[in-house]
Amino acid sequence: MTIGANTILVLAGCALFGAVAGATGTFVLARRRALVSDVAGHAALPGVALGFLLGEATGLGGRSPALLLTCATITALLAALCVAPLARLRRLGDDGATATMLAGSFGLGAALLSLVQSHSSGTQGGIQSLLLGSAAAMRAADVAALAVLSVGVLVALALLARGLALIAFDEEHARVAGVPVRALDLALIILLVACVVAGLQVAGVVLVVAFILTPAATARLFAGSLRTTAVRAAVLGATTAVGGVLASLVLDTIPTGSAMTLAAALVFFAALVVRRTPKIARRGA
Amino acid sequence: MNDFLAVDLPALLAIALALVACATLGNWLVLRRESLAADATAHAVLPGLVGGFLVTGTRSPWAMLAGAAIAGLAAILLARFVARATRTGSAVALGVVFTAFFALGVALLETQGARQVDLDPDCVLFGSLETLFVAPPERERSLGAWMQSWIAALPRPIWTLAAAAVIAVATSWLLTKELTVRAFDPSFAHASGAAPRWTDDVRIVATTLAIVASFEAVGSVLVIALVACPALAAAPFARSVRGQIARSLAMALPIACGAYLAAAHAPAWLGTTHALNASGTVACALAAGVPLAHLAHRVYRVFRRGARPSPALNRRPA
Repeated sequence: MTIGANTILVLAGCALFGAVAGATGTFVLARRRALVSDVAGHAALPGVALGFLLGEATGLGGRSPALLLTCATITALLAALCVAPLARLRRLGDDGATATMLAGSFGLGAALLSLVQSHSSGTQGGIQSLLLGSAAAMRAADVAALAVLSVGVLVALALLARGLALIAFDEEHARVAGVPVRALDLALIILLVACVVAGLQVAGVVLVVAFILTPAATARLFAGSLRTTAVRAAVLGATTAVGGVLASLVLDTIPTGSAMTLAAALVFFAALVVRRTPKIARRGA
Repeated sequence: MNDFLAVDLPALLAIALALVACATLGNWLVLRRESLAADATAHAVLPGLVGGFLVTGTRSPWAMLAGAAIAGLAAILLARFVARATRTGSAVALGVVFTAFFALGVALLETQGARQVDLDPDCVLFGSLETLFVAPPERERSLGAWMQSWIAALPRPIWTLAAAAVIAVATSWLLTKELTVRAFDPSFAHASGAAPRWTDDVRIVATTLAIVASFEAVGSVLVIALVACPALAAAPFARSVRGQIARSLAMALPIACGAYLAAAHAPAWLGTTHALNASGTVACALAAGVPLAHLAHRVYRVFRRGARPSPALNRRPA
């Protein structure tokens, strides 16, 4: 195993993404929006396919990353924003709205992707890699874009942390106190979608959820303020991402995205075993 | 016509059977507000598929199906344990567990021989409806004999789906009372002893079987839609649990068949050579049916009650 310049680049990119996704995930979990990340991840798929078709149609070429990611952002954002109004429909509820959006956007993605695959040009490789992620193929430009996005998300989180904590724990109080609940919710969803889109190349549409949920869920096992939990989740996310990249380097055949997800899951279950005192077990039921 | 019998009818049969298997049991999940368990199970079966192959070393579909069922059940039980132990919502637990299982599956697939198991993540996600076809039988003496040989030539996944559909309907029908009590009032179910816990366990096993059997044919993208969407679309019209199940099937069957036919034939009618993925199109149509059904229900109420606004509207603060 040799650590070359490229490996360091990949490590830096994955660590950065792990940290940002962990921090964002903490606020998402606190606001009980865990599965909106799942919807956003799956809804990025039709966006990517749409971007490819648009690129082919306009002559920009199907693999223009800017176009693919822009379209992915738009569809992911639309789907994530649709969940709340759908959930207000009679008897649909949060879980029903999430399942509907998930099925619809994933189905649309599959249908559009089949159109892409029946396109004659042989330039669809970039799309396959977005399904399962291809962290190992990151280049300097990708890492730079990821870094800009990550710093933006982190700064926004730091600025909004107070308001987000307020609406997460006591929405009524926040509303009465004049905190702009809707604007903050919208901001949280935008940050979440930014995370998901940034993570497409690192983890792919299915596993990107793990980066947002697992480190945050692990950090939540230990008591602390929302801010400390977010910091812990960020550290955990970065550490498990680096661990996963190194593991996939050593074992060679395991894809990087899966290795990072498995590392995060292992840490979660280890923490769960540590924290599961008999007291919690009794009160858990 | 021959094309229809050879290609379209088996696929339609597969979709209809998968719909009966998944949507019948999906109604219970929706009533219990666990619609997302299907999504998690559909992703979590991946390591089981590969594991079944690795353990038995054969390419027998039964080994892979058994592995998938075990993995799906393990994921659901693990998620239940995590939700209980961490006291976070079941959504978080499902998310953590199913991504871990999916990652494990991808890792196994990549390391242990994607070459030997002819399985690729694409096929698992998007299904292989297009490969279900019947070689049209030779000319037979009578229509009856012809139909017999057509049925005998049906591919194996369709028989698996038929078995899953029978199990699903039988479970829902025989345990309606118990499952209803457990879904609506778990503490009463527990206290009265009228609805023992094993009824829920039977339902979970049957659901896993239905999901595993279906996703082999139609892919996990459609399984998610088949489990949740019909029940969600039927919910506003339902007066009873059995009524909801019957309505969900009656509403979803024409939508699913229509969407399949559109996906299979519309590109040709429009004169393009592009192919549309059938599973994805059907999933999309079923999902679109949910808000449309709610809209239709609003309209229906207005007509039935003589233009009186619905109670839902009355509840809004003035």
